[in-house]
Amino acid sequence: MARTVAMFTDVSLCIGCRACQVACKQWNQLAPEEPEWTGTYQNHATFTDKSYRLVRFFEEPGDDKVGMRWHMMSDVCKHCAQAGCLEACPTGAIYRTEYGTVNINQDICNGCRYCVSACPFGVVSFNHDTGTATKCTFCNDRLHNGLGPACAKACPTESIRFGFRDELEAKARKRVDDLQKMGYKDAQLYGADQGGPLGGLNAFFLLLGKPAKYGLPEQPKLPQRNVVVDSLLSIGAAVAVGLGALLAFRGRGDDAGGS
Amino acid sequence: MEPGLLQSSDWPLLIDLYFFLGGVAGGAFVIATIANLLDGRRHQDIVRIGYYVAFLAVLPCPLLLIVDLGYPSRFLHMLMVSKPSTAIGMDAVTVGPFHLKLFSPMSAGAWALLVFGLCTFLCALDVFLTDRGGRSVTGLRTVAGVIGGVFGFFIAAYPGVLLGATARPLFISAHWLGAVFLAVGAATGGAAIALILALLRGAGGREGLVRVMRVTSMALVVELIALALFVVSVKMAGSARISAALGQLLAGPYSVPFWLGAVIVGVVVPIVLQRGAARSGAPVMAVLASVLVLVGGFLVKYVLIAAGQAS
Repeated sequence: MARTVAMFTDVSLCIGCRACQVACKQWNQLAPEEPEWTGTYQNHATFTDKSYRLVRFFEEPGDDKVGMRWHMMSDVCKHCAQAGCLEACPTGAIYRTEYGTVNINQDICNGCRYCVSACPFGVVSFNHDTGTATKCTFCNDRLHNGLGPACAKACPTESIRFGFRDELEAKARKRVDDLQKMGYKDAQLYGADQGGPLGGLNAFFLLLGKPAKYGLPEQPKLPQRNVVVDSLLSIGAAVAVGLGALLAFRGRGDDAGGS
Repeated sequence: MEPGLLQSSDWPLLIDLYFFLGGVAGGAFVIATIANLLDGRRHQDIVRIGYYVAFLAVLPCPLLLIVDLGYPSRFLHMLMVSKPSTAIGMDAVTVGPFHLKLFSPMSAGAWALLVFGLCTFLCALDVFLTDRGGRSVTGLRTVAGVIGGVFGFFIAAYPGVLLGATARPLFISAHWLGAVFLAVGAATGGAAIALILALLRGAGGREGLVRVMRVTSMALVVELIALALFVVSVKMAGSARISAALGQLLAGPYSVPFWLGAVIVGVVVPIVLQRGAARSGAPVMAVLASVLVLVGGFLVKYVLIAAGQAS
């Protein structure tokens, strides 16, 4: 297996130019979409089957000294080490690549859409034209030809960086230290820790504040973690109903009448 | 946990209908099997009706699922692909072209539907041949009944576990959906048998009717308890967005079909009616109670899925 690759997005460098979003659309030949009004410069409100990259804009009312604060973050598929979409997929269309990324095999996907609601980050989208689920692949074709993803190449401020996970993680941790020394006390990493939620994200972020400020779940959870408990409780209900049926059908007819 | 950006599968009414019919089939099959194992001759009406109902209810299920797929001609990919990848998830089992993912309720459900469908066919065929004056194949009904019974419960319950294994705010912290769906399946399966028994036999089928209604009532009580525990488990999640999702179900746009349709019409009224029907032996009350259980059973699944997808 090749070394795991990753993407590191540093929101402190993002200027919201959306070059990444455009580069993604161009390289992956994603059709244009009607713009929608989301209340900010963000377009669209969610990831779509034609927008694998989404620059998210958040406005935070400030005080007298500082007016409106703008937070921008270029969001993307996290290629989770424990991926909800991959675990949910009943066809095996979603698989882990030799680079540690998560891809959807378009020749296998049958469009059941289970992965769409199983993603804790709302990344996987359903393409009504092809009848299949789609999402970012870290530009899998470019990856196999020694090129980084188109979004990282296009980013003019190096807010998006791509490379081997271990190297990027070290750089990210140094960057957090630097920012904190510069006074950005709330600088923190999201998803970099491989012992953290979902076993770490292969697209991790440097945030200036809590994840909720950027619309990210504080503690993302693998939905399939519920399967064992839910199944045991279902078996409990089955035992209760089964015993009830046994009681109802045993004995003579006279007492079954209950009268 | 507080959810972030999410998308919905937007499963249409077809899927609600599948979950409903799967529950009816699973519930009816289990009740018929238990009746058959305890005293097949005495409860022959229940056994016959139960196996026929299970077979007829499960018959359209694969079709409903296939029609809903974005790429229907690839329906077999649920079970097999020409060259399955090995990196398709934790505890994934691949044998030749076949694959099973134990942590994907949809994958396990596809296999369960196949096995359960086969068992319902064999049992219904055995009943049909016996009805035509033939002899029951020794042991077939028992073996297919027991295996199908296990998978029948599975078919009734797994949609709830499937929903619980999504990131939707209403479902991510809920642990009781499988139990709710199982109880609804048993109740609606029993109600379907009771309805047909009451219509076919009238007062003559009173003994069997009372027994089936008793099972149905017990399943309705389990459903009510599981629903209450579902609400409690969601409430305990401690997230504003999850609480808001629950609010939509209990006091928002889904509250009327939930409280009035699923709880009162679907559970409380039928329990009272079934008690009355058991005492008086009036088939009309049994018919009415059964219809309400079936309507309520569909509504509770519909409203939970709709509220979950909108959350």
